Amino acid sequence: MQQIPDRNFDALVTPTKLHRSLYTDPEIFELEMSRIWGQAWIFIGHESQVPKAGDYFTTHINHQIPVVMIRGKDDVVRVLHNRCGHKGAKVVEKRSGNVRGALRCAYHGWSYRFDGSLLKVPNEQGYTDTGFDAADPCYSMQPLAQVASYRGFVFATLSNTIVDLVSWMGGAIACFDNLCDRAPEGEVEVAGGVLRYEHDCNWKFILENLNDTMHPMVVHESLVKAAESYIATLPPEAAEQRREAEIIPPFGASYENFENSGITGFDYGHHYDGGKTSIHADYSVDPDYHAAMVSAYGETRTREIYAFNTHNVLYYPSLTIKCAVQNIRVIRPISVDRFVVESWSFRLKGAPDSMLERTVLYSRLINSAMGMVGPDDLEVYRRAQKGLQSPANEWVEFHRQYGKDQVFADRIEGGGTSDLDMRTQYRAWKGYMEQSQQRGANND
Amino acid sequence: MTDLATIEAFLYREASFLDRPDLDSWIELYTDDAYYWIPATEDQVDPINHVSHIYDDRVMMEIRRRNFIHPRAASKDSPTRCSHLIGNIRVIEESTEGTLIIESNQHVVVWYQDEQRLYAFTAQHALSPDNGSFKIKSKRVDLINPEAAQKSLVIYL
Repeated sequence: MQQIPDRNFDALVTPTKLHRSLYTDPEIFELEMSRIWGQAWIFIGHESQVPKAGDYFTTHINHQIPVVMIRGKDDVVRVLHNRCGHKGAKVVEKRSGNVRGALRCAYHGWSYRFDGSLLKVPNEQGYTDTGFDAADPCYSMQPLAQVASYRGFVFATLSNTIVDLVSWMGGAIACFDNLCDRAPEGEVEVAGGVLRYEHDCNWKFILENLNDTMHPMVVHESLVKAAESYIATLPPEAAEQRREAEIIPPFGASYENFENSGITGFDYGHHYDGGKTSIHADYSVDPDYHAAMVSAYGETRTREIYAFNTHNVLYYPSLTIKCAVQNIRVIRPISVDRFVVESWSFRLKGAPDSMLERTVLYSRLINSAMGMVGPDDLEVYRRAQKGLQSPANEWVEFHRQYGKDQVFADRIEGGGTSDLDMRTQYRAWKGYMEQSQQRGANND
Repeated sequence: MTDLATIEAFLYREASFLDRPDLDSWIELYTDDAYYWIPATEDQVDPINHVSHIYDDRVMMEIRRRNFIHPRAASKDSPTRCSHLIGNIRVIEESTEGTLIIESNQHVVVWYQDEQRLYAFTAQHALSPDNGSFKIKSKRVDLINPEAAQKSLVIYL
């Protein structure tokens, strides 16, 4: 744990207000990296990114610590610290690829099996009678403290003590099930590449925005108006064929629509908006896709799967998924005022190609740094980052529908335009930062 | 054979509209069935089943043009100005009807959100003859760093 003086987190986070230093103070950022990103389950990648033995994918588990996800000869997908047991050099430099034989450090040629164990040290006789023990695990590429996957989604954690992945996800696990169940074969796979988007603001802004349903009609008004006014000039047949005409206008949905979609929060900061309905609920259903779904699940179950229609699901703090669009965004902080978002698309196994086409279209319209939604969102986060430098008011408020949340055993539910998502996130934030066991929904 | 100077003059004209930027004039250089593409990966062949930074047909170009000047488009409050430098222009293909595939190297300095940024790319234009000049049937912008984490960009390159 970093040697940073402890703070009184009660003075920084109240049930309805946050202190501005949460977004601007580099020391708080460092504490977040060790206490939130160092304890929570962090999304690493999907098993389909490493289909064969020796296939790997590299990333960071927080702002700095390099890790590699690699499939072993035993078909197990592991997550290892990407650090040579010798002098500490990062072993795997490329973002993804395949290793034949063994992982090999570029510095002194130490090599490792796909499970991270040390295979060979060059000119090993120099270590004879020195006390060096090649079998000591400290000289291997070490596994993360815990690694687990759920329906192909691989998570790892630096903590030995955090609860298991399934318990940690709690009721939010239903959204992973819904994403995968939308595939006629019940499985998804990464497809269609990745978009990386640099954000010059604090990493928490994007998480706060996911279920912030008071912003779309303001921030995205210009796009909705531009799209609707131009599409209205097209002949009706041409307009009907435009999938953008399904994707863009719901961003301008009314307060009432968003209120009705509801927000549901869970322990450890997870939440989603929608469920019964969402801005993705009125997408047309490709008849070939529907036929494949009915053939796999039957009509009733198929309708159930469609009916669970969420908008954004957050697995706090590193992953947000869109079940109905088969798209995920992976968050990685860099510094107190900088982070990167990776957007990945998924193919529904057994579904026609049109489904992936829509996913890809969605991602490039909405999630691209050169898209038509992301830059407006980022612009308002940037303004918050700048405005919060002002000491005129030390606080950010989130009172909406405070006191009206409905508390159940494993979740809290509230109105879609409430700040329930903020309450959920910052209960978890405080729990992690205080290193208490109270990261839950109901611990006020 | 089309005279290289004619091609150069056309590319410079397109660049001058983007530099200001004047998207109303710029878009008129494109055919109705045109598309504008910034791939997200090196040697990308598929814009439909693989993500791109931008893949706009004329309809999306029209929407973007309207959005660009909308008073409530917060990401467009910051001034956006560009300077295109175009070189290494080469004719890749010329058909008997005068349709051309042109490649050029372009360095574009963009002033946006209080900073200057540099984009470097190979541009591939498909041009068709039009009243002594050209219309653009397609433009592909292959950034030297398509896989990098990109910052917000609200203007075409």
